[in-house]
Amino acid sequence: MPKADHLQGALELLVLKILRRGPTHGFAIATYIETSSDEVLRVEEGSLYPALHRMTESGLLKAEWRMTDAGRRARFYQLTARGKTRLAETEARWHDVTAAVAKVLRTI
Amino acid sequence: MSLWTRLARTFRRSSHDAEIDEEIAFHLAMRAAQSDDARAARLKFGNPEVVREDTRAAGILVWLDTLARDVRYAVRQLRRNWVVTAAVVGSLVLGITANTTIFTLVNTALLKPLPVADPAQLQLLEWRSAGWPDALCDSHSGNTDGSPSTFLQGSSMSPDVHRRLAATQTAASALIGFSDNQDVIISLRGRGAEQASLQYVSTNYFPALGVTPLVGRSHAAADDKIGAEPAVVISHRLWQRLFGGRKDVIGDPIRINGIAATVVGVAPPQFFGLSVGSWVDLYVPLAARVTLTRSPDDTRPLAEEAKYWWVRQVVRLKPGADPEGTRQVLNQQFRQLVVPEGLTLDPSKVPNLVSLPAVRGFDSIGGNEGEALLVMLLLVSLVLLIVCANVANLLLARAVGRQRESAIRLAIGASRGRLVRQHLVESLLLAFAGGALGLWGAHLLSRGIEVLLRQANGPTLDLALDGRILLYTVAIAVACALLFGLAPAFRAARADVQDSLKAHGRGLTTGHLRLPRLLVGAQMALCLAVLVAAGLLGRSLANIRLTDLGFDREHLLYASVNPWRSGMPASQVDGYVTRLQEELSRIPGVRRVGTIGSRPMSGSSSMTSAHLAGRPYRDDGSDGILLNDLGPGVIETLGLRLVGGRSFEPRDIRQGADAVLVDERFVRRFYPEGNALGQRFGTSREDTTSQVIVGVVSNSRYRSLRDEDLMPTMYRPMLASQDRGSTVHFVIRTAIDSPGLANDVRQAAARINPDVPVTEFSTQSGLVDRLLQTERILTLVSRAFSIVAVALAAVGLGGLLFYAVTRRTNEIGIRMAMGAAPGDVARMVMRDSLWLVAGGAVLGIPATYLLARTLKSQLIGVTSTDPPTTAAALGILLVVALLAAWLPARRAAAIEPTAALREQ
Repeated sequence: MPKADHLQGALELLVLKILRRGPTHGFAIATYIETSSDEVLRVEEGSLYPALHRMTESGLLKAEWRMTDAGRRARFYQLTARGKTRLAETEARWHDVTAAVAKVLRTI
Repeated sequence: MSLWTRLARTFRRSSHDAEIDEEIAFHLAMRAAQSDDARAARLKFGNPEVVREDTRAAGILVWLDTLARDVRYAVRQLRRNWVVTAAVVGSLVLGITANTTIFTLVNTALLKPLPVADPAQLQLLEWRSAGWPDALCDSHSGNTDGSPSTFLQGSSMSPDVHRRLAATQTAASALIGFSDNQDVIISLRGRGAEQASLQYVSTNYFPALGVTPLVGRSHAAADDKIGAEPAVVISHRLWQRLFGGRKDVIGDPIRINGIAATVVGVAPPQFFGLSVGSWVDLYVPLAARVTLTRSPDDTRPLAEEAKYWWVRQVVRLKPGADPEGTRQVLNQQFRQLVVPEGLTLDPSKVPNLVSLPAVRGFDSIGGNEGEALLVMLLLVSLVLLIVCANVANLLLARAVGRQRESAIRLAIGASRGRLVRQHLVESLLLAFAGGALGLWGAHLLSRGIEVLLRQANGPTLDLALDGRILLYTVAIAVACALLFGLAPAFRAARADVQDSLKAHGRGLTTGHLRLPRLLVGAQMALCLAVLVAAGLLGRSLANIRLTDLGFDREHLLYASVNPWRSGMPASQVDGYVTRLQEELSRIPGVRRVGTIGSRPMSGSSSMTSAHLAGRPYRDDGSDGILLNDLGPGVIETLGLRLVGGRSFEPRDIRQGADAVLVDERFVRRFYPEGNALGQRFGTSREDTTSQVIVGVVSNSRYRSLRDEDLMPTMYRPMLASQDRGSTVHFVIRTAIDSPGLANDVRQAAARINPDVPVTEFSTQSGLVDRLLQTERILTLVSRAFSIVAVALAAVGLGGLLFYAVTRRTNEIGIRMAMGAAPGDVARMVMRDSLWLVAGGAVLGIPATYLLARTLKSQLIGVTSTDPPTTAAALGILLVVALLAAWLPARRAAAIEPTAALREQ
């Protein structure tokens, strides 16, 4: 069983968001999260790959083997229609929640 | 992804694993290329093995784990709401117990194959011919089915033809011969006589059926010899009852109808013979019939009558053989064998074999009883639907209470599908708990029914639990879970996150309980249907029971003796009967005594056809008449009226006498001008003169209570000695019902001849009740079901009204604050209740007529749309509506407006 992951929801959201830009492989996803968060968010591979597979199983992503630009075989992930809807939902909820939290923080 | 692919993946790991390995390898390679340090990359990655395991597990384990979590969560929820849980499981147990019990009966009576090896290979062989094959057969035991003039189908053939066909045929694996079940009296040394059921069987009966005796052996070919002492295989039941299950029973003597026989084997416990519903206790070879039915003063040489057909046949097909092909081959042989040498017969007069599937044996329960069982199954299913509606409402009420919980779960990311699944898991747990307890309940109830049937001399059924019953129970449990679980599940999943959380859990009077109301309305409709069905069946039974028999059935008793079975010579039988009749009439309280051949309404009757000179003979039953034998004094004892001519005189009562009495129906049918007295008629094709009508008696019913079975009847003078082997029934008219009479009769019989016991003692009303056994059981069961249905519907209705009042406390408070009197509020609740019942009735009346149509064949003297019955059922529902509304109405009326408003 995968370890309990407190940021699982967030990781899922990030993965979806990144894949929104187009299909890519696990390593690129991990790298992108790390670089675009200025290395604040470090992605554990031990969480990333189980998450990718879980999301594939539940139909949010679909995966296929393709060649990278460097000519290596890699597993590319891509958003499905369900993944896109899920992204919209989770993103909206995330904004609501963070806005609410920010509001609370401001008022106290 | 389906469950199957998930499971398959856990076992077929390799290719999937390889993919994961490759993916991880790629990641590591990329990381290494980036940092130029493979080791660092590997360290950073962590243990690839663990990552791989975790990744692989994501599919199957997530699925299994959430299921396990659902179950744990469900158990916790159910335990927390244990009152609701107990109520739900309790109602389910009630419904499923009743349902499974009835299905157990249906299963045994109508579905279960014979307890033999490969029952599907068995085919019953009967014959069919154009008209009666008089040249070959003059007497037939078993079933004959005469379809108008085109053909006649018979079940049996002569033992000789059977033996020769069985010995020469090679088309089938085996040809088995056997008789109908016969009632005999058995006795052991040191034990009183008792009644048992015997079957004559061919010696290959047990081996060909694949039934191995538990103790001893089955019959050997040498046992089937005329004149030999009968070798008996006894049933497991008889072995237990009479021999206490002794292993050394083999070789023990046993007397059958007073004739010595030897026990050679014991049948296995579940084997009852080839006829579902009757249990054979003794199996003896075909040839033993000569020995066992012979009277002691018969001096003719021992032989089987060639033209008496009484052996039924079952054929075991060769594996994979086609029944029709086998029948054709056997038929050719049969048509040659059945015509004795030296006789030439028009081929159209020679019977042809027909074959019928025998997977369930012969003469199985069917027809009326089968239909009655299916009606019961239908009614009990309606009761189960009512249970489901109740349970659904309970769960709905709880789902509303859990709306906040659902909303929170949705808010933290659970999908609606997960919520539906969670609720369905709860429903399934409830249903399986109810199913398991219900199965146990049904098992106990079936045992009880077995005992009751045995005590009531009803059909003997093996009601043991089997796979089919288990499957049925699981199926209805799952169906129930879906029925009562889906609505609450979707209700929960529909929970509106925003609203529920905003409303501070203070349930607004959201909606108008639309679904619960619909469910209660449906309950009322189902309840109405069950009530109408029970009412119709009850009225029908009352009608048929009160049918005029044509004589007074009160204070009328029958005592039956069979002097032949104790070995009395024919020459003494008539004297014995006369003396016993005199002795019986001397018993205090007895007014008159007579003798009769067949007791009215006893279920046994004789039929023949009348043949009048100048009228074409019809053997298709359209000129069929009933036949009964009347002894001295019986017309007066029964109270039949002599409408014309004279009664029997001593000169009529002799061998070969031609005087007969007929009833008025006979006269109306055959002599419409009314000039029946002195006329002659016959009872076969060649005969138009053998009987002369000397008197006409009033109509009575003798064979059946149903009008469509009424037939003209002729009565012959009874001469006990003439009917070898048959039972003599004394008709006794008493002044009052005296409980000691049976004993007085037994003592009188013992005074005349201590060797001849009274084998049966019955009252006319008792015989009528026995004839109506199926109808009585059906009425009783449907009445019980309707009581359960009404109780369940009342609880459902009352619960809903209570719930509605609780939810409307506010509103009611405001109404009262604005000047509504408590009476107004109570009336409001009552009105609500009546509306629900009215809605149910609107739904229910068409449903009721549909149900009643299926009952049609069970109804006598009442139409399926009988208005009084429907009105009475509606009346009962109305009372239920008022009673169920009473408590909630009082509760509503007692609401304190100030308190109700302050609560807000």
